[in-house]
Amino acid sequence: MRYFDRLHPISAFCYFLMMLLVAMLTMHPVIVTVCYLSSVTFLGMLIGGRKLLSSLAYSVPLVLMLAVTNPMFVHRGETILFFLNDNPVTREAIVYGVFASMMLMSVFYLCRCYSEIMTADKFIYLFGRAIPKLSLVLSMILAFLPKMKRKFREIDEAQRALGIYATESYVDRIRSRMRVLSILLTNSFETSVETADSMRARGYGLRGRTSYAIYRFTPSDAMYLLFTLAAGGALFALILSGGADFSYYPALTPLTWSPRDAALTLLLVTLAGSSVFMEVKETVLWHYLRSGI
Amino acid sequence: MTENKKKIIKIITILCVLFILIPFVIWFGVKIFEDRKYNLVSVIIAALSCVPFFVRFERGKSGAREMVVISVMTAFSVLGRLVFAPIPGFKPVTAMTVISGIALGGEAGFIVGGMSALVSNIFFGQGPWTPFQMFVWGLLGFLSGVVFRKTCRPNRLVLSLFGVLGGVLYSLLMDIWTTLSFDGTFLLSRYLANVAASLPFMAVYAVSNVIFLLLLARPFLEKLGRIKTKYGIFRTEDSEN
Amino acid sequence: MALLEIRNLNFTYSGKEEPALKDISLSVESGDFVLLCGESGCGKTTLLKLLKPELRPAGRCEGEILFLDTPTDKLDARTSVTEIGYVMQNPENQTVTDKVWHELAFGLESLGESTPVIRRKVAEICGFFGIGDWYHKKTSELSGGQKQLLALASVMVMNPRVLILDEPTAQLDPIAAASFLASLRKINEELGITVIIAEHRLEEVFPMANRVLLMDRAKVCLYDTPRRVGALLSGGTVPHKLAVGMPAAVRLFAALGESGESPLTVREGKQYIATHFYDTEKRCELPEKPAEEREVAIGIAGGYFRYERETPDVLSGLDLEIYKNEILCILGANGAGKTTLLRVLSGVRRLYKGKYRLWGKKIKEYNTNTLYRGNIACLPQNPQNLFVKNTVYDDLLEVTKLFGIPKGEREEKIGRLADRLGITPLFGAHPYDLSGGEQQKAALLKLLLMDPKILLLDEPTKGLDPASKVTFAAILADLKKEGKTIVLVTHDVEFAAEYADRCAMFFDGQIVSVADRVDFFSENRYYTTAAARMTRPMFENAVTVEMAVKLCLENGRRP
Repeated sequence: MRYFDRLHPISAFCYFLMMLLVAMLTMHPVIVTVCYLSSVTFLGMLIGGRKLLSSLAYSVPLVLMLAVTNPMFVHRGETILFFLNDNPVTREAIVYGVFASMMLMSVFYLCRCYSEIMTADKFIYLFGRAIPKLSLVLSMILAFLPKMKRKFREIDEAQRALGIYATESYVDRIRSRMRVLSILLTNSFETSVETADSMRARGYGLRGRTSYAIYRFTPSDAMYLLFTLAAGGALFALILSGGADFSYYPALTPLTWSPRDAALTLLLVTLAGSSVFMEVKETVLWHYLRSGI
Repeated sequence: MTENKKKIIKIITILCVLFILIPFVIWFGVKIFEDRKYNLVSVIIAALSCVPFFVRFERGKSGAREMVVISVMTAFSVLGRLVFAPIPGFKPVTAMTVISGIALGGEAGFIVGGMSALVSNIFFGQGPWTPFQMFVWGLLGFLSGVVFRKTCRPNRLVLSLFGVLGGVLYSLLMDIWTTLSFDGTFLLSRYLANVAASLPFMAVYAVSNVIFLLLLARPFLEKLGRIKTKYGIFRTEDSEN
Repeated sequence: MALLEIRNLNFTYSGKEEPALKDISLSVESGDFVLLCGESGCGKTTLLKLLKPELRPAGRCEGEILFLDTPTDKLDARTSVTEIGYVMQNPENQTVTDKVWHELAFGLESLGESTPVIRRKVAEICGFFGIGDWYHKKTSELSGGQKQLLALASVMVMNPRVLILDEPTAQLDPIAAASFLASLRKINEELGITVIIAEHRLEEVFPMANRVLLMDRAKVCLYDTPRRVGALLSGGTVPHKLAVGMPAAVRLFAALGESGESPLTVREGKQYIATHFYDTEKRCELPEKPAEEREVAIGIAGGYFRYERETPDVLSGLDLEIYKNEILCILGANGAGKTTLLRVLSGVRRLYKGKYRLWGKKIKEYNTNTLYRGNIACLPQNPQNLFVKNTVYDDLLEVTKLFGIPKGEREEKIGRLADRLGITPLFGAHPYDLSGGEQQKAALLKLLLMDPKILLLDEPTKGLDPASKVTFAAILADLKKEGKTIVLVTHDVEFAAEYADRCAMFFDGQIVSVADRVDFFSENRYYTTAAARMTRPMFENAVTVEMAVKLCLENGRRP
């Protein structure tokens, strides 16, 4: 089992929130690189190397493409490499393109990780108290969907056996699909009334509804939550106080290594790497335990 | 009459929240993050824009039956998006949202649109674009509720027009996000390039919206009408007067 | 003090003239197991819904319903939610949330219980019903039987004093139904919770009940102990149509005109026959069937089918011959692939190996038009899957267009068939407002519009009340007379034994046995009718109650 699956939703959510904020807040090349690498590694831990590779095959060319095309829109920057259609292509613009697309990708990968970990259940748990009705609606939608999919297939078979719109022509296919959808909607509405009755029979609408969850907040969840909050808070303080300021135009800010820069990088590496570290630790621990049996 | 007045007040409060809170966030974003953080700010704004609608729904007196109907409509539009997924850009979500807006009122329309985006992205991938889609689709649902407030059998021409506008609006707004996400700031030249690049999609959105609306609106509105009268739901949103 | 007391209850739905309930008075004691039966449309559901304030239908209500001496409409909302539990017919529709644990907690959440309390109560209920294994599952992954058990558990978790169930096993297969009823018995016997249940399938539930409430046309027909029902039936105070669905032992008892306490179960029926009747004549005389060469409508030889390359075979080495103008019942357990078999027969799916000949020609030689117009028609398990329009008539009219029936003939054809099936009065109704039996007929009419020679029916008796089954069987017999070939796929053993010409057993992708209905069921030992189980070993081929009665009378009574 993955560590983040076991982690309490609040702690996991906090990690993703912090990381997303950091990733979107700044374009500092070091921060962008750390975010990118850590999110890719984390995703690899979660979905396995094979799937990650197929995902990378998609995204790496995209990064390169965006990097190449950026100078076509932006002509700022003082190091002119060459002219294209009388427009200057600058080194700064290319560098910006690379890091901007890397930032985009790290946000994208963080969201992939988020989707892997934060299932609808956990989302409902997190927001169940704040938006009880909507989260119940969400749960109901998720219950309706598989039912409807199954029903869709059932109706489709029934209609086919009648021989209506059964040819493979394009128009017939769309018409038969619409017909099935129409039957499905009637069916869903008519039967959903029973669902509503079942809700009312079990007291839905009484005052003071609570929301139950199967998650338990353990001390280790609390530790991790505290850690992310502290590290994230410190990072924001540093970033907002200008620690991550970096400008690409007209010239690239030279990278320095001041104590503040060092602290910032260190904090970021700890925060971003904590997910990967925890997953590795979990795997190693599990192997150790199993070999001990 | 009082119902109508209440409705107008409702709309005004929602608009106020939109026009006061959002500029505030922008100001805050500029102040705190200084320039170039519009990507983050825009996500927060999109999410915030949904809040008044969601809060209204939470506070509203919709009971089990209303919630079930909303869930069915949403699940249905998600299913539609899944069924038609092989054809890029061809999705019935806008059409379903608009139909919900017409039949169930703007508020429910917003919920159906917003939740469709949230739930379908469970299958298509969540990301910072989720709040955008939620807001755009929600807004389309809300607008259709307002525009078609007086009728449950809308004119086909108006409906088609609405479908085209919906497609264009969706495309333009999503392009804003694409632009912001890359530069962190709004670069008009890139925005125009993005718009140009997504013109074919915009066309597909518009055409598919019109097709879906023309084909589905009539039968679906009939079905919704039957449910509404049979079980006496969404009465206050109805245009009985 | 009675737990529930109904006094002079009259109820009329708003917008209707005819009352749905007339002058109902009865009382239910704590710990009772009340079985409510009657034709569909007799007011069962209305009565049950009136007992649960949250579900009370709109209409004019006279008289009183008292729950522990308090009128139910004055009950405190929390009390009525917790004390009166209600389980509905369709397991699919009454699950609200996407996870089992959430479904179980739903009622307690509504009541505002705290997390630790919910956790404890849910754990307890999981233990009682054995749900622990699927606690974390999605509700959509459960089987029908599991879903219905979940519905029951999520009501029981609120600790009700009375449990009301409206045809809870109608949508379940026999095995799942039996295990559901076993849970119900456990609730009644081990916890002493009062149960009020409406049911059509009475064989198992009848012996569990201590009170039987028979309703007919909005009125109470009798309210007595199950053992006395047999005598009352034979006494003629009860209309005959209600006797149809009773357990075999009760029907036998009533048909023999006995008085006193009737046997209820197969075991008691067997003892009863053995002690009261001679068994010198063991076989019922059957009319000789002339041996004749029969035309084969559908012939499958060595048929193999699977859905995907990677999945196992659903049909493996299937051999089947269906004769022209016969009623063939294909029986088999749930999940054996009966519906798949029907899909293959209807040509929607094709065998990947083996021969399928229709009227002697290969199936490949047919196209959509020659196959589905005037040849094969298939009635899906759920007739609702065929309804598109808002009224029955529009729905039929729409399909005549699609079937390419010439304009002038459409109305006449619909009218003629509707008169024959007796659904003309329903033309203006919405298809979903019809009862199960009426929906079945409307769907059947749709198929008949195409003049099919072969009718394939998937589980057509599912959820039908006994009286509707009888009318449905009459329609089938009528169609057979007309020369149609009818194939039923079902697990309704009793129906097959009564109305089929031949029966076939489908198991492990093959037809393992096929024979005339009497031979088929008299040779089977386990998978057979209650009458056959009850009369063995005294009689050898009494597969229906009528045959058993005939043999009893022929043999004569022991002194």
